[in-house]
Amino acid sequence: MSGYPIDDAGDLYACLYAKEFPAQSALRLRPELRERAVIILEGDPPLETACSFNAKARHLGVARGMTRVELDTFSSLIVLPRSRMEELSAHAAMLECACGFSPRVEDCSNGDAFLCVIDIAGTEKLFGPPPVLVRELLHRAQILGVSASAAIAGNFHAAICLARGSTARIAPMAPGKEDEALAPLPLKVLDISSEHTETFALWGIRTLGALAALPEKELIGRLGQEGRRLRQLARGELPHHFVPYEAAFALEERMELDSPVEQLESLLFVLGVMLEQLILRAAARVLALASVTTALTLEGGSVHLRTVRPALPTNERQLWIKLLHLDLEAHPPQAAVVALTLTAEPGNTSKVQLGLFSPQLPEPMRLDVTLARIRAIVGDEYVGSPVLRDTRKPDSFKLEPFQVPSTRSSTLRTVGPLAAMRQLRPPERVSVALRYRQPASFVFRDCRYEVEHAYGPWLAEGDWWQRESWAVEQWDLIARSGAPSGDCTMLCCCLVRDLKDASWKMVMLYD
Amino acid sequence: MTERYIELHSTSAFSFLEGASQPEGLIERAVELEMPAMALLDRNGVYGSARFHTSAKRNGVHAHVGAEIAASCFGNRLMPPAWLPHQHPLEPARLPLLCESRVGYQNLCQLITRFKMREKVKCEGAATFDDLQKYSAGLVCLTGGDEGPLSAALVSGGEEAGREVVERLVRIYGRDSVYVEVQRHREREEEWSNQAAIRIAQSLKLPVLATNGVRCATAYDREVLDVFTAIRHHIDLDHAGRLLALNNRRHLRSAREMMALFRDVPGAVEQTLELSARLRFQLDDLGYEFPRYPVPDGEAMDSFLRKRVAEGVMRRYGPKNDPALLQRAKKQVDHELDLIARLGFAGYFLIVWDIVCFCKKNDILIQGRGSAANSAVCYALEITAIDPVGMELLFERFLSESRGEWPDIDLDLPSEDKREQAIQYVYQRYGELGAAMTANVISYRGKSAAREVGKALGFDQKSLGRLSSLVSQWEWRGKTDTMAHSFQNAGFDLKHPRIAKYLELCMRVQDLPRHLGQHSGGMVICQGQLDCVVPLERASMPGRTVVQWDKEDCADLGIIKVDLLGLGMMAVLKDCLELIPRHYGESIDLAQLPEDEEVYKALQLADTVGMFQVESRAQMASLPRNHPTRFYDLVVQVAIIRPGPIVGKMMHPYMRRRQKKEPVTYPHPSLEPVLKRTLGVPLFQEQLLRIAMTVANFSGAEAEELRRAVGMRRSWERMKNLEGKLRTGMTANGIDLATQENIIQNISSFALYGFPESHAASFALIAYASAYLKVKYLAAFTCAILNNQPMGFYMPAVLVKDAQRHGLRVRPIDIQVSDWACTIEHEADGSLSLRMGLGYAKGLRRQPAEAVVADRWQDGPFRSAEDLALRVPLLNRKELTLLARIGALNNLDGIAHRRDALWQVERAGKLEGPLLRQSCDWLQEDSDALPLAQMNTEERLIADYAGTGLTVGKHPMHYRRQGLQSRNVLSAVELHRCRDGQYVKTAGCVIARQRPGTAKGFIFISMEDETGIANVIVTPDLYERERLTVVRSKFLSVEGILQNQDGVIHIKATRLTALESDAMEMYACNPTVGNVRNTGPGMLNSA
Repeated sequence: MSGYPIDDAGDLYACLYAKEFPAQSALRLRPELRERAVIILEGDPPLETACSFNAKARHLGVARGMTRVELDTFSSLIVLPRSRMEELSAHAAMLECACGFSPRVEDCSNGDAFLCVIDIAGTEKLFGPPPVLVRELLHRAQILGVSASAAIAGNFHAAICLARGSTARIAPMAPGKEDEALAPLPLKVLDISSEHTETFALWGIRTLGALAALPEKELIGRLGQEGRRLRQLARGELPHHFVPYEAAFALEERMELDSPVEQLESLLFVLGVMLEQLILRAAARVLALASVTTALTLEGGSVHLRTVRPALPTNERQLWIKLLHLDLEAHPPQAAVVALTLTAEPGNTSKVQLGLFSPQLPEPMRLDVTLARIRAIVGDEYVGSPVLRDTRKPDSFKLEPFQVPSTRSSTLRTVGPLAAMRQLRPPERVSVALRYRQPASFVFRDCRYEVEHAYGPWLAEGDWWQRESWAVEQWDLIARSGAPSGDCTMLCCCLVRDLKDASWKMVMLYD
Repeated sequence: MTERYIELHSTSAFSFLEGASQPEGLIERAVELEMPAMALLDRNGVYGSARFHTSAKRNGVHAHVGAEIAASCFGNRLMPPAWLPHQHPLEPARLPLLCESRVGYQNLCQLITRFKMREKVKCEGAATFDDLQKYSAGLVCLTGGDEGPLSAALVSGGEEAGREVVERLVRIYGRDSVYVEVQRHREREEEWSNQAAIRIAQSLKLPVLATNGVRCATAYDREVLDVFTAIRHHIDLDHAGRLLALNNRRHLRSAREMMALFRDVPGAVEQTLELSARLRFQLDDLGYEFPRYPVPDGEAMDSFLRKRVAEGVMRRYGPKNDPALLQRAKKQVDHELDLIARLGFAGYFLIVWDIVCFCKKNDILIQGRGSAANSAVCYALEITAIDPVGMELLFERFLSESRGEWPDIDLDLPSEDKREQAIQYVYQRYGELGAAMTANVISYRGKSAAREVGKALGFDQKSLGRLSSLVSQWEWRGKTDTMAHSFQNAGFDLKHPRIAKYLELCMRVQDLPRHLGQHSGGMVICQGQLDCVVPLERASMPGRTVVQWDKEDCADLGIIKVDLLGLGMMAVLKDCLELIPRHYGESIDLAQLPEDEEVYKALQLADTVGMFQVESRAQMASLPRNHPTRFYDLVVQVAIIRPGPIVGKMMHPYMRRRQKKEPVTYPHPSLEPVLKRTLGVPLFQEQLLRIAMTVANFSGAEAEELRRAVGMRRSWERMKNLEGKLRTGMTANGIDLATQENIIQNISSFALYGFPESHAASFALIAYASAYLKVKYLAAFTCAILNNQPMGFYMPAVLVKDAQRHGLRVRPIDIQVSDWACTIEHEADGSLSLRMGLGYAKGLRRQPAEAVVADRWQDGPFRSAEDLALRVPLLNRKELTLLARIGALNNLDGIAHRRDALWQVERAGKLEGPLLRQSCDWLQEDSDALPLAQMNTEERLIADYAGTGLTVGKHPMHYRRQGLQSRNVLSAVELHRCRDGQYVKTAGCVIARQRPGTAKGFIFISMEDETGIANVIVTPDLYERERLTVVRSKFLSVEGILQNQDGVIHIKATRLTALESDAMEMYACNPTVGNVRNTGPGMLNSA
């Protein structure tokens, strides 16, 4: 075995390690940015924080956890948002690369780094001695655009430690003598709790070698079984139950059509058949379809992609067909379809426990169909329950997905006589003539109105500390149109003037 | 101007974080708007009223007094409806009250005091219906804006509930004293309430009053108001939502605007003028009276005082056996007592005397300072320790007939417990409502502004830390020491809009009040009830109450205070008085310390670390030149290193004359007796008075008036009159014009900054005592000063190193011997050494530490780490680890070094159950198995500094000496052997950095190494280039030209570099002027 005796159990592991993975995943697809300082932000604006960066950014003084506002203080920094999709595809590519060397690969990645261990026992005949294998492994990762490092050891954890602790791309290897190779590594390769880190620092224990040399019984007396585990890790002796990575259960069907199909009905027939297959396969694993993505390859080569996701996973074929139908009706392909691929995400089969006294709710599936219909008409971004934001900005709300309220609203407000009004969405532009800084007349929907009474202005302004500060002035007006026919109509309305651009808009009509 | 309006509902920044303008700013704006009067109603207090009143008076505006009172009986204040997302906390509605008469003001003060004092701790509190009812007379009530009870009631219960609230107010305050308030801020919801309020007013036949519920002087200040709102709710602006103002309309508005706004509400604006005319009360009319001292029947305060003084004169002057002095003293006290009787101040002197008597009786060291030391009466009453007759001090500086203000006596007490005892005595003697501390208004400064505004704008902790560490805290500020410059240095891009806004807001909040603290020692005492004069409230310190005004406000309104100041050195002296007899077998009388050559020698060599008032770098730099040889030289020394003499260019002429490099001359021969003591250079305020008395025949009172007129920049007119008089007097005395000019020049340049001789003498007395004790009883002095930290100029680490250089053996903390405090030990050779106390172990709680000492006392030394953990279960694992880390367990059996101890306590802190512990052999460890390696020097230093803030082992620089020597870097002591002008290199630990106001931007750095202290001068240019090195580096390597002037050594730096080392970084976490509390020891020798 070319001087590479595998250990007593016959084990030999290679570890592939790529740090700053979010940044590497982003740069993999943007080679033009590799020479610049790049930082990846995660979190929702305005509360994003730095989660990963490249070496150039680190040299500028960027640190993990910095906020957007703080990063603004650095010039020449490229800031990218974190993309889970890019990371997932990079991660999949890396795993695929690892799987090229052995069927047994265990994925140990955490959020910020890619880490996998490959069981390479017995691969020598295929790939040559381990050093050759590792070089090839890193070379392939390099081709994928990821800079990684690797290590080989007879112990699973030792391989990880060596990969994480080494400054070289390929950690110095001494199979059979893992303890010696591990000895000079710093303790931080072990992921020790902060409490134990502090204790070891006080004890002057800085390397795995020093930790390995501590007497076992006394160490357990002080740190408990965790002490024993850490000591075994440091000696490269901790056993590991290998859990190989398995390719995810993929629900996908593809069909090339004999001739281009333009009619939706024909397409739905094919879809129905494919759906049936998917449902069968999912049901075989006691799963249901949570979402279905239809990828229609169109004449000319473009792809029309649609995803349908009902509120609950289901295997009801009719329902799926209805939903897909509605979706495609709302978003029809722009050309004839030559091929179609159906992919589905599995989910748990839906069961909802209803209470005896809980209010009668529409059947979830029917609700989904209704919502899909509404979406098809108004567009995805306009469906949901509106929720007011905590801000003084007029008309400020966001849409949240519909939810079955968990508790019944307890306060029933007694509503007195209130004025009814119609809100115009979007507001309509109005041209206004002023007198003594008050609206005197205006033209609304091609009709000229003379103002009889003006109330206001009501002033609101805010966000002065931001670039997008706003200020508006509201007027409640009673106006009368002087139509040429002699008809006189009265209009009670609310006009708003945006003080930033001095534009007037009609926002409300009072009944 | 036909349109007139008076704002009767405004709040200032003294509604802490609910108003955005200073009271002065509001008045300034009122003057611009030609508003003849204005009312200030701060939240739950009259915090800003004194400043509002003073400023209004200066500007001819009539200042009305009032407050917004939180009243729990009216429910909660208006909040956004529940269906709107908001973060408004529940707060009681606030009732605006205005004072119509003195009775009203007294009621307002009592009302506030009542509900504030009902709380056990410092908090806002709220009044009940009974409180309002009881203290309603003389007050006018408004129904309030959105903070008021009416708005809340209207929104929650409609017009009916609103009417009920108003009717309730009418029942409390009477029909004539309730005004229905309307405010218009261009808010839609507000108008509905206004219309309802007007209907209610009409139905109840109450007047409607227009106000603007002002929260800032100008519309622009709304931004500051929003920032304050964010700070108040601990949230940033991005997340503050509806907590912020809807618009910027809550500013002071002109009569024209208000008239236009309320055109449809007839009489609402005019009503403000009528109400204003009704409010006759002003703060001038406080009715404050200093308490009378209770004297026995048949005695008047004057006669009682005269008797006590007569006794005192005999006690003080009798033993001196100098009949002439006694005679002069008797004459002087008669003169003083006559004046005191005429001014009616006998009660004040007796009260101070009473406090002094209490302290003496209870073994509390006390000494008066300041101009009181000019008074023979104070000396006789043992209030002060300086004999003004013997020293020929001028009484008029203390008290004069024409001043029309109370005398000011400051008393120095040992800090902490003893001072608290004296303060509690005053509370007890004058009642909880008869005495209180003066407040201290905490205002935004560079650092706090940068931190809090930054937080509000959403900057993270790290950038804020980076910035606030750079905001200049120097005494001297150069052109580049602006906030903007600090921002740039912290790496902020000022062109970035949010950062530009940040900077702007930081500047705008400067000096605005943040919250109320308590003054360190000023106490206000009042005849009758103090709560009728100013509201009292709880301080955050238990058992303390504060008034709502600071000491300047109290002084402006003629309220007298007694300052009971904590002086760390008094505590040190007190401790020495106990330690010396116990350990040296000698008794010490501070009043009779001999003049000692050895002590003066130390002072001459500027070997003064730890000595009171003469230990600063500037003092050290001037001591060799002044070369003090007698007590009076020390009085001059204390007084001369002050901004006054330095700016007035007195320091250098005096020093040259002192060194006989310049002849002693006098502006006029007649002034020789006055200026002889200070070699012809006027240094003291008393000399200024005497000059005027001598050359221009001024009376003492006139001379004092002259001093004060010069001191107050604004009184040019008075100054002109007095100057005329001075010139006439001098001409009458035949003094030529040139000399007159010279004398006037002297007076005016000096009077601004002069120092009272009496005060210098009082301080010099303590300075000499501290020098004497340090030189003669080093162990006791060091022990006492370490036990009374923080105090003085240097950190404990520096004090310990200095003591060691003077031959004191300092022993590390040892669990087997140390007490909580540092102690003195007797060595086998009969010498004394100092043992560091457990109190210096950072993070060790006092209770377990005292349990250790008690257990050791009872059951003998601890046998092992396990034994310690078993016997003192109060010690937690963290504390055991700390003790092990600093080497305090090294003297336990089976422990050879700190790591052994750390290994053992890790086990000892985790004991098995008591049943198993005794019997199970297999749980027993092999005691020889001590696997950890000993700490190296660097690790030990880090452990020492992290755990105790100092090391009793060798100085960190010692370990680098060899390397430094090879690079020709000299030690502090070697610098003394270099000649003036030589180019040298040196290095050391920075123990102090200063940029004195008088030094034109030069920076002085004191560096310490194992041999002593070296001083470095950094030019403004070099500072600009090496700003970060100067400000941040803890260890510096310096190259430059050595200056040796009269034995005073400085290096004028041309190059500065930081010396890097982990251990060194730990040293002196904050080596700027001042101290770090509870920094303790370590041990190198035992490891």
